[in-house]
Amino acid sequence: MNERELHEAVSRLPQSIEPPRDLWPDISARIKVSPWRRWYWVPLAAAAVFVLVMIGRSINPTAWDVTALAGRPLIGTQRLAASGRLRVGDWLQTDDSSRALVAVGRIGQVEVEPDTRVQLVVARADEHRLALARGTIAAKVDAVPRLFFVETPVGTAIDLGCAYTLATDSLGKGVLHVTGGQVEFQTGRRSSRVPLGALMQMRPATGPGIPYVEDAPAPFVRALLAVDFEKGGARATRNILALARPQDALSLWHLLQRVDPSLRAMVYDRLAALVPPPPGVTRRGAIALHSPDLEGYWTTIERIHFRIMVLRGVRDIDPRTGRALH
Amino acid sequence: MPPPDDLVARAQAGDQTAFRELYRRHAGRVYALCLRLTGDARDADERTQDVFVRLWDKVRSFRGDSAFSSWLHRLTVNVVLNERRTTGRRERRIMPAEDPGEVAGAQHAAPLQESAGLSIDLERAIAELPDGAREVFVLYDIEGYGHGEIAQLAGIAEGTSKAQLFRARRLLREKLER
Repeated sequence: MNERELHEAVSRLPQSIEPPRDLWPDISARIKVSPWRRWYWVPLAAAAVFVLVMIGRSINPTAWDVTALAGRPLIGTQRLAASGRLRVGDWLQTDDSSRALVAVGRIGQVEVEPDTRVQLVVARADEHRLALARGTIAAKVDAVPRLFFVETPVGTAIDLGCAYTLATDSLGKGVLHVTGGQVEFQTGRRSSRVPLGALMQMRPATGPGIPYVEDAPAPFVRALLAVDFEKGGARATRNILALARPQDALSLWHLLQRVDPSLRAMVYDRLAALVPPPPGVTRRGAIALHSPDLEGYWTTIERIHFRIMVLRGVRDIDPRTGRALH
Repeated sequence: MPPPDDLVARAQAGDQTAFRELYRRHAGRVYALCLRLTGDARDADERTQDVFVRLWDKVRSFRGDSAFSSWLHRLTVNVVLNERRTTGRRERRIMPAEDPGEVAGAQHAAPLQESAGLSIDLERAIAELPDGAREVFVLYDIEGYGHGEIAQLAGIAEGTSKAQLFRARRLLREKLER
């Protein structure tokens, strides 16, 4: 049989073939009991919603667990005996002899030191936010960046995947010390990037200062504070530049953006002498605070800094290039 | 005899008498399609019932954008192919097919001989085709679907549909020449 004969045979097939028996009784029986089927989904849907709500509550609790580490901290007006729950809006307060551990949803924890007052502001899967009114907290977060925020009287610490200690008085004078990852500290006007092994002072009205590395010489730090908070001007800026080492590049990168425009070229040239800019970053662009130039430079500075910190005690790293020294 | 549109409208309103009349008018066409797609009289019997039970549930969603018979035809194809996909998955889970040919043979163990008085060799040959080849052949050569539509309905690639059609025609010619 060829193709054409097959087609002819197919075209002769009947379009209709009667079933060998009457199927209507069976169909009729099935559709008579079918009304329940129209509604069977209602209890199932209700059960599904219930399960989803329960799962949602467990995944994204609206309250955080609190454990007393010492003494009897207060949640609202209630003394915490051993453990409790901190709900959105609740204040947790420790006195001079009490400490507490707060679970930050499922992404980390915050140790609340003595004489501290914190409030849970937001407890969602996509945003975990505390307000630190005064005192000291030590945070450890293991999550993608920008999930955990701590508001202080002068600005907000934004977690970029890190561990840090944050202390402030009720007016906003304080210090941030990052021991893992990186924190961005923001106010409406200023922003500082603080990588591990760096500190940053903050003050009322001014906000975040220029970050500096842990082993920065005291005169260098004093000069930074003078520029940041004491209107130190050109003289203090020259002091900073004179005292700066290659490992202080992260401070100079911030300084470049905070000094008077007339001083920027001087700051840039010193920074470039300490840590050469990567290809693509231009002097003109950096002095104009052109974002791609600044970001490109920061990537290099940050990479070198992380290599120094991570390999500290293991290998000596050239603070100008980030390469291992032999 | 009430016009088809009237019957459909009454069935949509829940009139079982009208629905029975729809069944009476369309059962042969639906059964023929089920029989050819499944290649098995018992399966065709069950699928035809499924189609009309499904029709009872869905008839309200018929808006008259196409002929009712075309809409029912498409519903039938969906019911049969969905059932085969589900059953296929279930059987694969229960019976790991070390020899796929053996499983295919088992599915065709009780074909058309005693059903509906069919004695045409071509019908029998179609029934004996492997599942995939049979479905494509029935939909393309008998029902006039395009490869794109078949691919969409059967959840296969268009190229697979063409290859199955080629295979089906070759197998049919071989069977009918014996």
